[in-house]
Amino acid sequence: MTFDFSFALSIVPTILAAMGMTIAVAIVSCFGAALLGFLLEILRRTGKPMGYLMRFVIDFIRSTPVLVQIYFLYFVLPFYGVTMPALVVGVLALSVYYSGYLAEVFKAGIDSIPSGQFEAAKALGLTRIDAIVFVVAPQMLRNVAAPMGNYFVSLLKATPYLAVIAVPEMLGAAMEVASDTFRYAEPMVIVGILFLILAVTIAQFVRLLEQRLLASAKR
Amino acid sequence: MSFLAILAGIFEGFGVTATITFYGMLYAVPFALVFGILQHFTAGPARVVVTSIIEFWRSSPVIILLFVFYYSLPSFGITLSGITVGAMALGLNIGGYGSQSVRAALQALDPGQVEAGRALGLRRLQILALIELPQAFKAMTPTFINQFIQLIKGTALVSLITLTDMTFRAKEISQLQYNPVGTYTALLVAYFLVCYPATIFGRWVEKRVSIEGRGQRDL
Amino acid sequence: MDMTSPQAAGAAQTDIAVEITGLDKWYGSFHVLKDIGLSVRAGEQVVICGPSGSGKSTLIRCINQLEQHERGRIMVNSREVGPKVRDMHEIRRDVGMVFQHFNLFPHLTVLRNCTLALTRARGMARREAEAVARHYLERVRIPEKADKYPSQLSGGQQQRVAIARALCMNPKVMLFDEPTSALDPEMIKEVLEVMTRLAEDGMTMLCVTHEMGFARKVADRIVFMDGGCIVEEAPPATFFDAPKTDRARLFLSQIL
Ligand SMILES: Nc1ncnc2c1ncn2[C@@H]1O[C@H](COP(=O)(O)OP(=O)(O)OP(=O)(O)O)[C@@H](O)[C@H]1O
Ligand SMILES: [Mg+2]
Repeated sequence: MTFDFSFALSIVPTILAAMGMTIAVAIVSCFGAALLGFLLEILRRTGKPMGYLMRFVIDFIRSTPVLVQIYFLYFVLPFYGVTMPALVVGVLALSVYYSGYLAEVFKAGIDSIPSGQFEAAKALGLTRIDAIVFVVAPQMLRNVAAPMGNYFVSLLKATPYLAVIAVPEMLGAAMEVASDTFRYAEPMVIVGILFLILAVTIAQFVRLLEQRLLASAKR
Repeated sequence: MSFLAILAGIFEGFGVTATITFYGMLYAVPFALVFGILQHFTAGPARVVVTSIIEFWRSSPVIILLFVFYYSLPSFGITLSGITVGAMALGLNIGGYGSQSVRAALQALDPGQVEAGRALGLRRLQILALIELPQAFKAMTPTFINQFIQLIKGTALVSLITLTDMTFRAKEISQLQYNPVGTYTALLVAYFLVCYPATIFGRWVEKRVSIEGRGQRDL
Repeated sequence: MDMTSPQAAGAAQTDIAVEITGLDKWYGSFHVLKDIGLSVRAGEQVVICGPSGSGKSTLIRCINQLEQHERGRIMVNSREVGPKVRDMHEIRRDVGMVFQHFNLFPHLTVLRNCTLALTRARGMARREAEAVARHYLERVRIPEKADKYPSQLSGGQQQRVAIARALCMNPKVMLFDEPTSALDPEMIKEVLEVMTRLAEDGMTMLCVTHEMGFARKVADRIVFMDGGCIVEEAPPATFFDAPKTDRARLFLSQIL
């Protein structure tokens, strides 16, 4: 079978149509990963037994493939009576996987806040939670903007993994075209090109946003 | 089938996982070094070409790279074995990331080092080999280990192009007997057993590198 | 100018603001505080001085439990503080602290720095809290900086904001840890003036400082520490003019 250029061009709109899903999955998963990662890191700091447990959880998440985590959630949750649409399972899996990495990012972000800030919050009589929400988190967010941007781009590039559980993002759409037409070469090349363009564009956009943020933070 | 039996069954696929990782490194390391150094040295149009090649491998999602090469190359008349396709796609993707840490490590060096080499009458390539690279290697090692772990985890993808690695074995086992919980838990554990030692080793190296750095400043 | 509150005046009748007995603290195997006993009456101003590393900071940081002690008893406003006290954050609300490096929150405006604890810890409405904050910013003479960020202020101004921030909580005791030693000479004066007025208004103060002029003028009592012990305790006149110990004499000869 030779490469059919006109067929390749004809499927571009179908795959482009799935781009919205790809971006949406990336954004929602990024929020999920940030929330979960922050929680893991805060719990890791709470004291001996909990701290060790969270350390282990973070290491475990980081030491196993995202593909396997997707399978795990997809096949194991229903066994316990938790049935969710593939899309939700996929977003959950990406959130969990990247939470392990973002927890480390947040660790560095918190460690670079001067200890005087924690002391001042304590001395004023703020509760733990208030100190985290009003003093630690806002200052941490400034420190982590750049690495978070990188992980967002990385997360975007992990969304096609969800094709293995038939989430209709870009690769999923391409696979569907392929199984409908029994032609694999063209959909794969097209999704490859389109995704490359998307990833490079978003990476540039994220870099721009970072610079804006850093400029506005320099008060 | 007991948990240990499942785990043993999964490890029957370890050979393929290890092989892909090994061949992947054969692609990744030379690519990272050559292209990282080229990006450091080149300017103008040559640099644009080098950067584009790096960006192609780095910015494409690895799962899509794998599918493009697996499904599309044959229709351009190129037939490669599954192992080769897997090792190449995974290896060059990681190599793309690696090239960035090579470049960053070279750029982070004090420009005085190169000048000192020049003053000694060394040629540019001698300076690179004798002065710059040995120093850059130290800074690169922790990142390289992290990328090595990413490569191991990435090999789970070759199960999608029908190579019988650990993930593929798990899928076979779970089809033979309905025990998704046991099987996929065992699969997570299997990857953890393989990757975690590397994580620990990476942390140890990182600590050593930074301790050496500290010692030097103290003098 | 009256900077104290009715509550602080009320506390004056209960008499003892801080009572420390038999206090010991270790950092690992290093014995930083050795059998410290110190009692501070409400309305009293105590200056703590001593050579570097003698444990001054550690001592006042134990009072609001930024550091935890291993042995002994610390009573603040008639309540015992310690590692096992669950509502430490409530006790801390009545103890203001001013740090050497100000520790203002860089991401919040001056006004919000002052109102944060009022709204979150005291549950005060935002408007009301802002009125309180503006009142104290006026007292430290920088009402016009309310909407600036800390990084837009000079060191002296930042430290005065830090004092206002602490005063907003209407504390019964104020702790100062070398509040002027990170400041340029011309800014030291403006901060010391604010502190002097606070003292004149009868605020209970424990102050670690090397500003001996301030100590002589303002303190009711000087506590001299060396090697983790309180070596000498006397009114300023006695301490400066006739120190009893050699160590105090040596310290004074070096610092004056
Ligand atoms: N977190 C810590 N861990 C170990 N040792 C500490 C710690 N903090 C302080 N120390 C040591 O305890 C001793 C007392 O410290 P402290 O800060 O209380 O001294 P200080 O009297 O305030 O000195 P300075 O005038 O320099 O501020 C010092 O020898 C110091 O090195
Ligand atoms: Mg001190």
